[in-house]
Amino acid sequence: MVIVFFGFPMALLTRGFVPLTPTAEALCRMFSTSPVCAAIQKMTRVRVVDNSSLGNTPYHRPPKCIHVYTKNGMGKVGDKILLAIKGQKKKALIVGHKMPGPTMTARFDSNNVVLIEDNGNPTGTRIKVPVPTSLRRLKGEYSKVLAIAQTFV
Amino acid sequence: MRKVVAALAALAGCGARSVLRAAREPGQRALLCPDPRARAARGDFAPGLRVRGSRDCSSDHMGRCTTEEPGSLHQPVFNIDVLVALLRQENANEICVIKLPTEIKYADYFIVVSGTSARHLQAMAQYAVKVHKHLKREENYHVHIEGKDTDDWKCIDFGNIIVHFMLPETREIYELEKLWTLRSYDDQLVKIPLEILPLDFIYEPTNDLEPK
Repeated sequence: MVIVFFGFPMALLTRGFVPLTPTAEALCRMFSTSPVCAAIQKMTRVRVVDNSSLGNTPYHRPPKCIHVYTKNGMGKVGDKILLAIKGQKKKALIVGHKMPGPTMTARFDSNNVVLIEDNGNPTGTRIKVPVPTSLRRLKGEYSKVLAIAQTFV
Repeated sequence: MRKVVAALAALAGCGARSVLRAAREPGQRALLCPDPRARAARGDFAPGLRVRGSRDCSSDHMGRCTTEEPGSLHQPVFNIDVLVALLRQENANEICVIKLPTEIKYADYFIVVSGTSARHLQAMAQYAVKVHKHLKREENYHVHIEGKDTDDWKCIDFGNIIVHFMLPETREIYELEKLWTLRSYDDQLVKIPLEILPLDFIYEPTNDLEPK
């Protein structure tokens, strides 16, 4: 049985090299390393948390993000994204993600999203899942989503 | 502009008395609906409802209208009476003012207002912002109208008060007054089906996979 060290290129060990810096080590590995993943980006599966019919009727494919409307493609709480739901495109607002955010903001166990029309009106009428109150401080039109939410976190 | 503000203050003077009268009624919500038929139609307001963390609606708190948040929040620009007088002056239909308890750390008052047309909503919102700009001091933030490209729902967040301008049809769909008075007991919330796992859902790992 051969024990293989994945964290260190084996070829270099034979020559007795000292451990390299992480960037140099990555170059030696000869495969590409992608940057740190964002909270919600293209192809993430999201959970629709309002009571709209589009979000709650079962479909054989989960709703997926296909575009994030930010400068970089990373979506945090309060960003608008484009979802592919039931074979149609729909805009949505992120209300919680699994990635830890700033200190003293809630981190959710699922990537929550609220469906929104093109003019900014929410598609559903109630949100049962807790919604972060940090939405209020952000620049953008979030009062409507906060108005239909039941609990705040 | 000053004459307008003086007129508003005079109207607010009359309004303040009626607000205090409403405050002394039992229950912790002060619901100001000038149209009693509309109020009955909105309906289902449980007067004896004791929501968890209930407080007494003392006239002292109503008159004060300042939030005790340290740091960011300064003296709020708008008094509730001034704002309601402003909305009445703009011929707003069915002004519904809901006083929120301090446990909901969102705002002091939640107002839902109907308008006759999209242009009416726009005009009301713009007038409210105009008066706010006149009354505000340097330390207060500017306020912007949310829902500029919608024609049926506009919203303004004044810090201590939130105002929603909606058309009657939109108001029927969303029923915000029901949600904010009944909170968890709202019927639209109750109608949302519970997300339960199917009965044959298996938590533990199974021995389905054959070892190679």
